[in-house]
Amino acid sequence: MSAVRAAREPLLWLAMTLTAATAVAADTPQSWLDRMNAALTTRNYDGVFSHWQSGRVETLRIVHRVVDGAVTERLESLDGSGRQLVSNGSEMTCYLPDQRTVLVEKAPRSLMPAELPKFSDATADFYQLDSLGTMRQMGQKAQVISVTPRDGYRYGYRLWIQRSTGMPLKTELLDTAGNVIEQVVFSSLSMRHHIADDELKPLLVTTGFNWLRDDGAPAVTVEGMGAWTNTPLPPGFHLVAQTAQMMPGVTEPVTHLVFSDGIATVSVFIQTQTIRSSPNQVRPGMAQVGSSSAFTSVQSGHKFVALGEVPPATVRFIIDALLHQSAGQALGR
Amino acid sequence: MTADASDLSLVQRVQHGDRGAFDVLVLKYQHKVVKLVMRYVRNPAEAEDIAQDAFIKAYRALPQFRGDSAFYTWLYRIAINTAKNAVVARDRNPVDFDLDMTNNEESYEMQGRLKDSETPEALVLTDEIRTTVNAAIANLPDDLRTAIVLRELEGLSYEEIAATMDCPVGTVRSRIFRAREAIDSRLREVFEGGLGRAEEIG
Amino acid sequence: MSNEELDSQLSAMFDDELPATECELLARRLARDEQLRGRWGRYAAIGACIRGEHGVRLSAPLASKVSAALTQEAAARAAPATDRRKPGITWVTSLAGLATAAAVAAIAILWIRAQGPVLVAQSQSGPVPNLAAQTKMAPSTPVTATPPGAEQSAGQVAAALTRPRPSREPDSYVVPLAVPQGPALVPPTELANYIVAHSVYSGPLMRRNALSALVGEDAAAPQVITLQPIDATVVTGK
Repeated sequence: MSAVRAAREPLLWLAMTLTAATAVAADTPQSWLDRMNAALTTRNYDGVFSHWQSGRVETLRIVHRVVDGAVTERLESLDGSGRQLVSNGSEMTCYLPDQRTVLVEKAPRSLMPAELPKFSDATADFYQLDSLGTMRQMGQKAQVISVTPRDGYRYGYRLWIQRSTGMPLKTELLDTAGNVIEQVVFSSLSMRHHIADDELKPLLVTTGFNWLRDDGAPAVTVEGMGAWTNTPLPPGFHLVAQTAQMMPGVTEPVTHLVFSDGIATVSVFIQTQTIRSSPNQVRPGMAQVGSSSAFTSVQSGHKFVALGEVPPATVRFIIDALLHQSAGQALGR
Repeated sequence: MTADASDLSLVQRVQHGDRGAFDVLVLKYQHKVVKLVMRYVRNPAEAEDIAQDAFIKAYRALPQFRGDSAFYTWLYRIAINTAKNAVVARDRNPVDFDLDMTNNEESYEMQGRLKDSETPEALVLTDEIRTTVNAAIANLPDDLRTAIVLRELEGLSYEEIAATMDCPVGTVRSRIFRAREAIDSRLREVFEGGLGRAEEIG
Repeated sequence: MSNEELDSQLSAMFDDELPATECELLARRLARDEQLRGRWGRYAAIGACIRGEHGVRLSAPLASKVSAALTQEAAARAAPATDRRKPGITWVTSLAGLATAAAVAAIAILWIRAQGPVLVAQSQSGPVPNLAAQTKMAPSTPVTATPPGAEQSAGQVAAALTRPRPSREPDSYVVPLAVPQGPALVPPTELANYIVAHSVYSGPLMRRNALSALVGEDAAAPQVITLQPIDATVVTGK
């Protein structure tokens, strides 16, 4: 470590412990997170990564292009199935060669990342950000950042952020016990000046495939959404978005609430409970989908589903709070 | 000549219930699959077990195979997936994979580093086979040797070999066939006893 | 056909240089003829030797192990005669069924309108068609252009598309393939739809992870875990 570095380190620690400090020095963990989010959303890149989760590993290729703020992305499974997902602002197309099918979804609203979870001063109350120094990852210099939750309502992260580009070369999701429950490692990554249209097209011949298309319903507004803003939530979480959309199997719009603590997000879907049940539908109770937790409950003819990259306790808390609140007020249609 | 017709015709037979046809595919690709798996595990016995799992998995998934990709490409992916999952299950932790995602299988050369895990008998057999084959190849007329080496080592198609050797495609086919015949008859000479076992498959 | 001609065909087929029709005939023979198979196995061994690959053996233990394992499985299941599958799909193990169910889940990751999917077209040629230019076709007239061996599944697909379905049912069963007759493990499609909707808001990192999980080969069924009472005091304050 150079002398300059050593001199700077204590200052960094000081800056972090003074959580009131809003001026972000260039090397703070928070600035690295910002840089990472910016790189992921504004740069062109293509790479291959392995995705480890629930004891299984998958290898995927990603091609990501941003032109005038419009994002197009192709995600391709490189193992067995050869499935690919191509998404842009208005459409998501899923190619399933193993089923000889292509599904196209036209969205009434953008399917690209919306508001990013924003790390604020308040967020620091619930997560501790540390820089663990620089390490070599894939032969590249990477800044290692750890995001450690201060309570059991959220998960932790470890991020190996490439110093030159801000791209996350390796990321880990950690549960409340500190175990790694999800890991993504890039085995190759190129930042690109230009990505041709062809690279965002699926690499397969779709002759003889079945094409299924859904035109998407127009965006709907639903009355009474403001009712949810006062719901008691796990510490640090607040409502950041609320929309409504049509979903299959339900004739009325489904309310979609998004809660965040600045790093983690939880979605809650509220719909009119259909009378006939089918194996398609989520049943009440807790479920684990990869590294996400999902909790479902039914009340007064409505079904509530909370889903997010958080521990089970969090989704449970949110649903219980919503149920309590909705029991106390009339739910208008 | 439809690409992949050979594999596809065998796959079709398997899909129609002919399991013997699957044995034929295993025979063709077992070395390649083991070599592929060895990128993830160094122990050859373990690699063979994983390769066996991969083939079994492929067999079970074969109803869903529709020929959209080459059969070997499909099998390749299954093998990699099986290998990675086996490693992960064994280690119980996520590991950094040094993945070589190009199709360049030849990049990983394991030869000569595995002596400790092989049984002496298997080693001797392998060495003897290799010696026999290499000697037989050395004894081939130049045109036969060139043809089979271009095919097996460089992976060139008959057309490409024909262009390289400046002869008709039919001649290429004939040369490769005759090269194989010569090597094979030498193998049968040397391994008269052992070959009896080779023919009892399935 | 002389023996030599046959062996020459074998050599060509091994190199994937035999015309399709001859392949089909030879494939039939190969599956039955031990001598021919032995030669084929030795061709593979020769190639492996030339490339200096590890573990070249003439006795092909791997092939016999695979064969033995599959035979064992088949014997263990010992399906009764009435369980005969349709021709073309004569064996569906429970694991294959699981894989299919997972694939069905993956199919349904995009939401499809309650009225049912609209079959836009069977693409006849390589490039992705411009969907905007397509006119909607009635589901009852699917155009099929399928390669040999896939008639079965293509027929199933066409049948599934034209089957009348209840209007409120999310359309996730449109393209089942070789769905086993036993209890099918179909994961909640609804949850998959929610995952996609949620991914828009979960930040670029987590969004990528969520979509990767859905695109992956083993897009696994969500595991339902038993509801346990959560002690709120335990989780706060570390």
